[in-house]
Amino acid sequence: MTEALKVTGLSHSFGDLEVLKDLDITVQKGEFVSIVGPSGSGKSTLFHLVGGVHTPTAGAIEINGQKAKRGLIGYMPQQPALMPWRTIEKNVVLAQEIKGKADIAAAREWLSKVGLDGFADKYPHQLSGGMQQRVAFLRALLSDQELLCLDEPFSALDAMTRLEMHRWLLDIWEANRRAVLFVTHNIEEALLLSDTVYVFSSRPATVIEKVTVPFGRPRRDDVVDDPDFVKLRRRLTDLLTGSPR
Amino acid sequence: MTSVKRALPPAITVLLLIAGWQLYTTLSGIDTWLLPSPSDILTAAADQREALARHTLATAELTLYGFGAGVATGLFVAVVLHLLPGVRVAIYPLLVISQNVPTIAIAPLLVVWLGFGIAPKLVVIILVCFFPVAVATLDGLGRSDALIADYMLMSGANRRQLFTKLQWPHALPTMFSGLKIAATYSVLGAIIAEWLGSDKGIGQYMIIQKSAFRADRLFVAIAIVVILALVVFGLVVLLEKLTVKGRRRD
Repeated sequence: MTEALKVTGLSHSFGDLEVLKDLDITVQKGEFVSIVGPSGSGKSTLFHLVGGVHTPTAGAIEINGQKAKRGLIGYMPQQPALMPWRTIEKNVVLAQEIKGKADIAAAREWLSKVGLDGFADKYPHQLSGGMQQRVAFLRALLSDQELLCLDEPFSALDAMTRLEMHRWLLDIWEANRRAVLFVTHNIEEALLLSDTVYVFSSRPATVIEKVTVPFGRPRRDDVVDDPDFVKLRRRLTDLLTGSPR
Repeated sequence: MTSVKRALPPAITVLLLIAGWQLYTTLSGIDTWLLPSPSDILTAAADQREALARHTLATAELTLYGFGAGVATGLFVAVVLHLLPGVRVAIYPLLVISQNVPTIAIAPLLVVWLGFGIAPKLVVIILVCFFPVAVATLDGLGRSDALIADYMLMSGANRRQLFTKLQWPHALPTMFSGLKIAATYSVLGAIIAEWLGSDKGIGQYMIIQKSAFRADRLFVAIAIVVILALVVFGLVVLLEKLTVKGRRRD
């Protein structure tokens, strides 16, 4: 079985600025993997490397056994980045359009499946921030790539909407397993959603801990009250803030 | 309903101005060749309607051809300068400076080079029209959303797709701002072009009436120029409404 993503010995610098250092990350097919780290620890740089926008200084990135290049991942950026002149259904098929043929009928079906019923012909500015992020996620999902890369997708949302989005994402993902690489600086979010969590240090980013999350699927969002969850969250918080264990 | 409400105050202003004008000319007994009254102007328009219709049609035709050619030139310049940054740095500053050359000053040269046919007239209109279109479009093409561009690159988009799917649609609203300016300029350009030497058109009509001191007919000609400009402007606005979708109008 080939991994959806295999990163080995990855280092990257911008001139003299060392951003990533000797990273090893694996995402199995159908696995949800999160990366937590302090702000500015080069998480977005990692995505640009995986997405093939930059070439790494050292190390290798393989996506489904293929060397990383543009157009191999389904990407969801921090901001929805929807085209304001396109309707929602036209936005959702953008990645398909880039690769070849857009399937509008399937997109409409998906929109109603993920709770965006009746929004197909609306324009992005008519939707709330949370709704726009759902559209952005669906756009990544419909790119039909094995690996989805989500870059702090909920960081701009308010706390209530964020909780709603976790529930929503878990529901959809558990019914449509894909390999996910999810970047966040929210520890609880990472533990709630993931099978595996990588903890990054501040710049240059290295992996300081790889945590296997011991909770099964389907996962309910009240798992955050489980004593084991609380303990794990405490440990990761200490790791990230550098307090004694 | 609100548009009717908004149109009312300026309409009242215009009516008051015309009434005051009529009153002044009647009471002061000023010579008609110096300042005709609004009713004189209306009478002149009615007397001349056949000639005016012919001239208006000629000017409208020239305006539309010139506007079309000017817009095409402007869009071509914008796209070339956008896609070739090397050419852009070499040409763009010169283009800006060239706008300080008054078109009316080079118009006689165009007649020397191109004769009295339609060619020099079209060139005059192209010269006044292409610049606002080129600058506005170029600006819009260069300011597309970097986040969407980033997303598209990650999804495997090539340069052509970036242009057709992102930069071009993004530039449309700014392009239309340029088109609106060019729309009014195009009528102005057509009138100047007809002054150069023409056997028809509102511009040529104005030259003849000026020589005859027919201020009343000159006023009619001015009104026609204004109406023509509004019509071309209206066409551009209509086209904008049909093509620019889904943006917050603010």
